[in-house]
Amino acid sequence: MHEILNVNGLSAGYGPLRVIHDLDLTIKAGERVGLVGLNGHGKTTLFYAIAGLTGWQRGSIVFNGREVGGTRSQGPGRYTHLIVRQGLALMPQADELFHGLTVEEHLDSGAFTKTAWKTRKQRKERVLELFAPLRDRLKTPVSRLSGGERRMVSIGRGLMVDAKLYLSDEPSLGLAPKIGIGVMEALLKIDLSGSAMIIAEQNVALLEGRVDRVIGMHAGKLKGEASLASSIKRRKA
Amino acid sequence: MDIEFILINGIVIACIYGLIAVAVSITWSSLGLLNLGYGFIFAFAGYGAYVTSRSLSEYPPVVLAAGVLVGAVGGVIICALIFIPLHEKPNFTVRGMVGTLAISLIGSQGLLWWFGPRNKALPEIFGRWQVEIGGTVLTSDKIGIVVCSIVMLILIVRWMRSSRRGLEIRAMMMNPHAASIVGIGIRKTGFYVMGITGAMTGLAAVLLSQTYYISPFSGITPLIKGVSIALLGGLGSVRGAVIASVILGFAESLTSTVLGGQYVLITQFLIIIAILMIRPRGIAGILDVAREQ
Amino acid sequence: MSTPRKNDDQYLWKNPLAVWGAKGGNYDVPSIRVEDPRTVWRKTTSYKAPLHKVGRFKYIHKWANHGKRLWKRQRWWPTRRSVLLIRGLYNRKTLKAEKSIVDKRPIYWAISLLALVLVPLFVPESLQFTILTAGATFGIFAAINVCWTLVIGTASIFSLATYAVVGTAAFLTAWLSINLGLPWWMLPPIGMLVGIVFGGILALPALRLDGFYYALLTLGLNELCRVYFVTSSEFGSASGGLYGASTYIGAAWAPLTQSVVSYYGAFALLVASLFLFRFIDGRRLGRILRMAPEKREAFAEATGVNYRQARVTVFLVSSVALGFIGGFYTAQYRGVAYAIFGFDTVLLGLAMLTIGGIGRVEGAVAGTLIVVVLDKVFITLGPIRHIMIGVLMLFVVLFLKNGLFGMKQQFRAWRDKKKGEWRSSRTEKGGEALPEEATEIDDKDILYRKRFDKMQREHLKTLVCEEVIEEHKNKPLGQHSEALERLLLYFRRTPQNDKYAIRRDSRGKRYKIVAFSGVRGTSPRLVEDKEYETVEEAYHGVFRRRVYDLLEA
Repeated sequence: MHEILNVNGLSAGYGPLRVIHDLDLTIKAGERVGLVGLNGHGKTTLFYAIAGLTGWQRGSIVFNGREVGGTRSQGPGRYTHLIVRQGLALMPQADELFHGLTVEEHLDSGAFTKTAWKTRKQRKERVLELFAPLRDRLKTPVSRLSGGERRMVSIGRGLMVDAKLYLSDEPSLGLAPKIGIGVMEALLKIDLSGSAMIIAEQNVALLEGRVDRVIGMHAGKLKGEASLASSIKRRKA
Repeated sequence: MDIEFILINGIVIACIYGLIAVAVSITWSSLGLLNLGYGFIFAFAGYGAYVTSRSLSEYPPVVLAAGVLVGAVGGVIICALIFIPLHEKPNFTVRGMVGTLAISLIGSQGLLWWFGPRNKALPEIFGRWQVEIGGTVLTSDKIGIVVCSIVMLILIVRWMRSSRRGLEIRAMMMNPHAASIVGIGIRKTGFYVMGITGAMTGLAAVLLSQTYYISPFSGITPLIKGVSIALLGGLGSVRGAVIASVILGFAESLTSTVLGGQYVLITQFLIIIAILMIRPRGIAGILDVAREQ
Repeated sequence: MSTPRKNDDQYLWKNPLAVWGAKGGNYDVPSIRVEDPRTVWRKTTSYKAPLHKVGRFKYIHKWANHGKRLWKRQRWWPTRRSVLLIRGLYNRKTLKAEKSIVDKRPIYWAISLLALVLVPLFVPESLQFTILTAGATFGIFAAINVCWTLVIGTASIFSLATYAVVGTAAFLTAWLSINLGLPWWMLPPIGMLVGIVFGGILALPALRLDGFYYALLTLGLNELCRVYFVTSSEFGSASGGLYGASTYIGAAWAPLTQSVVSYYGAFALLVASLFLFRFIDGRRLGRILRMAPEKREAFAEATGVNYRQARVTVFLVSSVALGFIGGFYTAQYRGVAYAIFGFDTVLLGLAMLTIGGIGRVEGAVAGTLIVVVLDKVFITLGPIRHIMIGVLMLFVVLFLKNGLFGMKQQFRAWRDKKKGEWRSSRTEKGGEALPEEATEIDDKDILYRKRFDKMQREHLKTLVCEEVIEEHKNKPLGQHSEALERLLLYFRRTPQNDKYAIRRDSRGKRYKIVAFSGVRGTSPRLVEDKEYETVEEAYHGVFRRRVYDLLEA
């Protein structure tokens, strides 16, 4: 399986604050990876760094065979749309919805790339199969939805494209446990042939046994998978 | 002193200034830019249409199209000079507004320098005919103005409601950060928005030039009227701007017929202040569709 | 430690202990290549960045300080305010006592105002009238802009109707003077009355509306005034304005005297407006309003600051001042033109504020100077000069955050941001202390120890390789190669807390790895469940753990 994402020596942060320290990570196609760590240890920042939304970053991020990282210190979000168009679906933590738009328009906006726009009807069907409760709320403005429905809209928007890499940031945060599990199940149902998914989560129990591997994140570094042999090898390289 | 005359005049005024007001509103809500450079775009488009009518052809659709196109170019210029370099810098709103004012200063003085202070007139676009409906005489230019501006407004509103680019602009109005996550490029959208609003202003310039002459500073009064209408409508709301333009259009034609031309602005501002004192967000505050900050 | 000898490809390490006949001690041990540790030291302590001189600029003069003189301050009679804020401090390098002026702005103000006073004496004959006329315009416009700064900066009300207030006051006073024959000295007080009425009307919506709504509204009001005065029958006349009011400049005087008098009259107005600014912005009202900057009003309100009242007070006071200036304007020029309400006047006024920096009084004055010089002195250029002003304004808006006088601050903010980014992308956690932490630690020895430790670890990391681990696995105790020896020496020296140890299970006769707590009375904690058959295996297990910690820390 080819590599979807190869992060090498990534450091990132905001101004004088450094959140991610020299991080290496490789995600292969077809993988569903859990990223576990407490608040403030850099999960969201890692996602933002991949999407080019951090204050500054350094190090290489090869996404889908193209370098999207590099040293950058200005204008968070300036290149985000270009990275997104290469096949990144970011489902951010705070939902980041468009408050006046309806659910349907949200789903459309998820399929914003030119190729996806043409087939947005089929894509909408596919998303609505995953999130059945949204079906009869298509014409409702998002500001009138409940928290769980909003999360569904946010995730559904991310699922509208055939992304190479899905980044889901804390899909169960702030939801009732039952709904949280439902959202997680929906994420697990997605067919990942040729693409990959990273789910950041604080609640390890939700991920256990459902993802291919779990990576821990602590103080801006990965832990858990590392072994002495791999450490030595990495240092040699 | 007849009621039809007031009504018709009100609608005509509302149409022209409504175009500029809607342009101001769209720019403010999607780009966060308070563009006071529409006065310059207005004069610029007027001169563009004038030059076209002189050098290319006096065929009305060509003149009209030239005005609209030159207006769009003016919008793109402002976008390239102000929005693109400034939009992610601190204090953007104030600096953006002052920047558009600077453009308007440079632009109008540049036009004055290039074309001289003499007024220019455009050829008549809608011909010279009139229709009588129920005892009221409708002249061709009035019908043309109303039809053109309403068609333009409807086209733009439909386009914003249904097309991909329209969704892009509306998404950016609501939440620019999320828009970039979805894959919408802020800079490119900025060019679209400014191009379209510039085109609207250009159309308004050509339409108004049927009544008034074109001069380097002819854009200032329409700008101030458009901005006041946008203000009354609640900045950022297209619906509010349309309603406000109708209200102020009638107020203007009523005042100028009943009291006289010099009291027009006074009554208008009394209305604006009265509504804003009750609802600081204007008519959009009553409709409740303003930009959520 | 003996120097290793290079022997063909083989890197040999000579054992310094061998002469004492240590058990199993060889004279030479083949070893992997070990870099001289001193190179690490040299590499780390060398400066990679090009060096610049550090410390205070040479040209900033520092006075010597003799202790007691610091307490004897000059004060503005009869207040207790000191003329210059002087602080005594010790030079951190030379340890000499020095005196430095904390706020040098009063000096700059004094120098520039003095220069303005002296200008008429030094202008060349040919330019006399141009300069003096421009100077009079500058004085009046600077005074207006100082009051405007009071509104925009201090009260943070984004009003664009300043020139409307001035113009209305000027028109009404001119009309009164022409029709009732009022003397010139009555015009400014009447202007003040007009100002307070107009200011009161303008203040009403200011309380309800947000910044930009208010800016647009006042822009419209400005146009309203223009249209009203141009079209009304009383004020309208063919001459483009209303002229013929009484003036303080004698008609019989020589033209040069007239110019000089009007120049100094306008200068006096400017000085008066600066005093007004100082007495509002620098005192209670200004303090209150600085506690309630835009978007933080709620917080100020929660702490008991009545910022609304303060804003309206400042707004009214500056409206009164603007009315005064309007009356003065009439008294100086015998009347006023409609152009004062024009959109271009607002634009030029805004250009003056923007170029200097919105909200700064020195910016208002300097911006006015620049724009007036461009506008009035280069009058032969025609529309080009306004284009120049526009380009200057555009340049300032695009590249400067807050005008010319905000440049220093902007540069410092930019530099600090870059510094922070560079620093945080350079420093690594776990080794050296971050600069932010370093300032908090009083015992600087700790910092140096950390620094040395980091260097040492960096060096030791280069020694870890499969061969070394293999060597330790084969022979955990006894004579080792240089690389392994260095690693082990470092591991042995680690502090007690969290140091690994081996515990022997008394029943199963097996070994487990534990870690000391480092606290007396607290028992060691078990590190892993893995059990080792022999003590040598356990030694190697501890070694592997330590190497892993070394690599991953």
